[in-house]
Amino acid sequence: MSTTTITEVAAIRDTGRFRLLRSRDFPLVPVLIILTIALVAVFADFLAPHNPEVGKLAARFKPPFWMAGGSMTYPLGTDQLGRDMLSRLIFGARVSMVVGFTAVIFAGVVGTTLGIISGYMGGWVDQAIMRLTDAWLALPALTFAIFLAAIVGPSEMNIVIILALVYWTRYARIVRGEVLSLKEREFVRLAVVAGCSKWTIMRKHILPNVMNSAVVLASLMLGVVIVAEASLSFLGVGVPPPKPAWGLMLSDGKQGLMVGYWWLTVMPGLCIMLMVLSANLLGDWLRVKLDPQLRQL
Amino acid sequence: MTRSPGELFAEPFRLHRRDLLALSAAAGLTGALAHRAEAAAPGQLTYAVHISLAASWLDPGETSGLITPFLLLYALHDALVKPMPGTAYGAGLAESWTASEDGLTYDFVLRPNTLFHNGDPVTSDDVKFSFERYRGANHVDLQGRVASIETPDPRHVRFRLKQPWPDFLTFYSGTTGAGWIVPRKHIEKVGEETFKKAPVGAGPFKFVSFNPGIELVLEAFGQYWQKPPPVKRIVMKVIPDEGTRLAALKSGEVDIAYSIRGELAEELRKAPGLKLEAVAVQGTFAVYFPEQWTPSSPWHDIRIRRAVNFAIDHEGINQALTQGYSHVTGSGVVPDMFEFYWQPPKPEYNPDKARKLLAEAGRANGFDAGFYYCDSSYANIGEAVVNNLREVGINVRLRPIERAGFLKGWGEKQYKNLIQIGPGASGNAATRMESLVVKGGQFVYGSYPDIDELFPRQAIELDRAKREAILHRMQELVYEKSLYAPIWQLAFLNGVGPRVEASSFGRIPGFPYTAPYEDITLKSA
Amino acid sequence: MRQFVLKRFCYSLLSLFLLSVTIFFFVRVTGDPATLLTEPGASEADIAAIHQKFGLDRPLVVQYVLFMTSLFRGDLGQSFYYQTPVMDLYWSRLPHSLLLAAVAMAFSLIIGIPSGIIAAVRIGSFWDSVGKVFALLGLSLPSFFIGLLMILLFSVYLGWLPSSGSGTPLHVIMPAFALGWYFAAAHMRLTRSSMLEVLGSEYIKLARLKGLPQRLVIAKHAFKNALIPVLTLAGINLVLMINVAVIVETVFAWPGIGRLLYEGISFRDFPVVQGVVILGGAMIVAVNLLVDIVYAVIDPRIRLGS
Repeated sequence: MSTTTITEVAAIRDTGRFRLLRSRDFPLVPVLIILTIALVAVFADFLAPHNPEVGKLAARFKPPFWMAGGSMTYPLGTDQLGRDMLSRLIFGARVSMVVGFTAVIFAGVVGTTLGIISGYMGGWVDQAIMRLTDAWLALPALTFAIFLAAIVGPSEMNIVIILALVYWTRYARIVRGEVLSLKEREFVRLAVVAGCSKWTIMRKHILPNVMNSAVVLASLMLGVVIVAEASLSFLGVGVPPPKPAWGLMLSDGKQGLMVGYWWLTVMPGLCIMLMVLSANLLGDWLRVKLDPQLRQL
Repeated sequence: MTRSPGELFAEPFRLHRRDLLALSAAAGLTGALAHRAEAAAPGQLTYAVHISLAASWLDPGETSGLITPFLLLYALHDALVKPMPGTAYGAGLAESWTASEDGLTYDFVLRPNTLFHNGDPVTSDDVKFSFERYRGANHVDLQGRVASIETPDPRHVRFRLKQPWPDFLTFYSGTTGAGWIVPRKHIEKVGEETFKKAPVGAGPFKFVSFNPGIELVLEAFGQYWQKPPPVKRIVMKVIPDEGTRLAALKSGEVDIAYSIRGELAEELRKAPGLKLEAVAVQGTFAVYFPEQWTPSSPWHDIRIRRAVNFAIDHEGINQALTQGYSHVTGSGVVPDMFEFYWQPPKPEYNPDKARKLLAEAGRANGFDAGFYYCDSSYANIGEAVVNNLREVGINVRLRPIERAGFLKGWGEKQYKNLIQIGPGASGNAATRMESLVVKGGQFVYGSYPDIDELFPRQAIELDRAKREAILHRMQELVYEKSLYAPIWQLAFLNGVGPRVEASSFGRIPGFPYTAPYEDITLKSA
Repeated sequence: MRQFVLKRFCYSLLSLFLLSVTIFFFVRVTGDPATLLTEPGASEADIAAIHQKFGLDRPLVVQYVLFMTSLFRGDLGQSFYYQTPVMDLYWSRLPHSLLLAAVAMAFSLIIGIPSGIIAAVRIGSFWDSVGKVFALLGLSLPSFFIGLLMILLFSVYLGWLPSSGSGTPLHVIMPAFALGWYFAAAHMRLTRSSMLEVLGSEYIKLARLKGLPQRLVIAKHAFKNALIPVLTLAGINLVLMINVAVIVETVFAWPGIGRLLYEGISFRDFPVVQGVVILGGAMIVAVNLLVDIVYAVIDPRIRLGS
């Protein structure tokens, strides 16, 4: 019995690359979904049948092709300004992916850097960064986003910056925690004895070891960020229209739900759901495989 | 042998599944036990209000320049003279008034036997007190022009002005709260603080309870001078989301839902028992060209400004966003119900003409026009206009900015390219143009001398016909120069439920809410 | 230990001070409340009168000092928009927020804990997937969308639940579910990982070797121990729920703190924004402090480490 347990633990902790992909519970469907969305985003210009940002008022609220009144001109129907839903969803994949990934990466870079510095340097630097993080966490994320949107004005890039500024603290806290325990490990102590500078240690020894956590966190944050983008649109400070972002489409179309124009919301909603669900399932799996100790995510 | 820890426990794990089932059954039960329509209390009228109700709106002395406080003033209070159905100067607490020939004195005669909610009679003393107590919009200007107020007896008031001021009655009756009467004795007895918490007025409904931003309850005032209101109780609930307001109307929780736009308004037309009631308000929407005075800018060319006019599908957007109820007047900044309004020619939607004008201006292939700034609460209008502009090759990007930020940027003259404006201030043609057209105005990025020099002339003109002629000429010049590209005069769309017989919507020109309240009736059950 | 607590307490105060400075100056650079209390086109005299009334004509530093001194007296000032003391507004809204958060927390635990346990005990099974996906769904859809769908179903079509407002127990069901579902995924994850950890521990192995039936092992021993971190997180999340429910409160017209804050921001109602953010911040900082102290009591290494 006890041998079994040891192998179990070994299996969970095993970080070998091949094992990862061969493993029995590899989330194939989520990965395929993410890849498809990524491909659609990259080739949006070739795939979209219409201009996603210009529509004809005369052709508004056309239903999808399988419903009465629908046609193959607009396979998934049109929105309140007569813009083609399919084209908007396709370009929306691009906007949402770009906003989502860049925001997550920005937040990750800022948060990880500050987390490493805070954890490794200790002392007043640590205190300063952690107090800043605490104060930041105490500020409701959406409040903060509305303020920033009011100051810098909404644009795709500004939304990315806003989301990154809101969510970096999560990385900072978790990475700092990891660094604190890494600091006590043999290889770091040896590096110190060998005379490596603080920066070298942080870059060469600490950073690679916190990357796993950062990547897992990023995969989980992707969903949070995409949903936050939609929430910003609901409050009127999201990606500026007529840019097709899924969150914006969902928020714009929500009134149509009550009137029977379900495709305005259900389609972008489905896209967001698939994307966020996939990212989370992949993130959960990665977490179990890469870093079983990572708990409070 | 590698197995996950869970697999070691082969026995099925049912406990929690059962729990879940039990839970969902419980949820179902609660649902079955519920509740249908709580609003159906006889004589009660329930509103879903779109905007957060503030305590300051209960006090006429605090009336800011917004129209929203009048939502409550018409119910709780009464004025000497106020806009009423069919007239901008309806007799309220005053039964008659006269202005002297020289325009220096205004005499009001109060109606006999009018009462405040606490039973005190309304007297000329209260009128004077209310005017002097007023601290809302334009109070500096208004009070500064009045030399003295005389109250020879309880039913007579005389305002003496320092100089003739043709707009005195406009300001005193409609655009400010100075003419709305509060009880002097009561306020002096209980103090300002208590009065603000539990206001007493002379209107058709009296105050019952208020939770700021959440709910206001009013009750009919049986001794209202005109007649006892047919509705016995008014409950105003703040419901910020449009969709939720419509849902509450459909489920019978409320009887009147304010501000239901776009697709939701379409549903109001379709749903049995519900009515769509639209009111064209004072908000005039237009596209402003802040760079028309910059010779290097494309907007300096009047042909391009006119092309914008032809590119906008006014009626199409009207149908799409406000069910065709907005007024496509062609007037940029003056709404059609204002005094001294001049009717410009109807705008024409003609993309070909727009393209031709662009070609004449050397922009046949279109051009990158920069940003289109707008208040994000009206981004839907902006989006539709931008859509039209792009169709003819004016490639402009929408920049919706949250209201506070937008007003700041617009007023501080930070914006370039195009600005979508939607001023809703009360007043008349002169007051509108003062802030939006004439040199020195708060939102004026540049001006034209021929318009500027007309403005001071009308301000001192006592002859109404001559003044009107000057103001008409000014509006004509605004039109000719394409100073603004007009979009429309916004319609405010509301939903009315099956219990309401007469809602009073649209009876007072330009007033977006239900008033007079004393005329609202419910169907007898 | 006392020194540790004292030190932590001072740090928390420092964080709160930083927060107060940030929010105070931040809210002032984003717009002028006077422009929102009048229609565009209001005269300069009116704007100036409003500035004077609210004390906005004074230098920023003076405003800040005044704000801080009255804050120490427990006075958050008068709301510009509502013309009511911010404290009154806050206390009238807080009970609603607490109720909403408590019920939402119950929902999120009811969804999160069972699905987390199943996920830990029966990895890869059908019920594992169902539980996981259900918990994650709440995270995958914006709460305004979930809320609107629920209103449509339960208020408009079925007529079971009131669409909005507060007052009866029925009013709280939909907003609490919309809010709680979002947090369910976090509780599921933590339940699962701490269950896995506990199940792998010597203590459970011993229980199993003693021949106890596995259901008993899970229910009595493993679950009890795994619950501690979950409840800690739940405590932190409860405070978050009180303060971040803006969207749910807007959709369901629930009279909570989130909406008070959001409307405060929209109207640039400085006293409301400052007050709500600082009180909310104090709540969050206090809970973090409490967690730190509790952990320090449990695990002395933390105390020494910092």
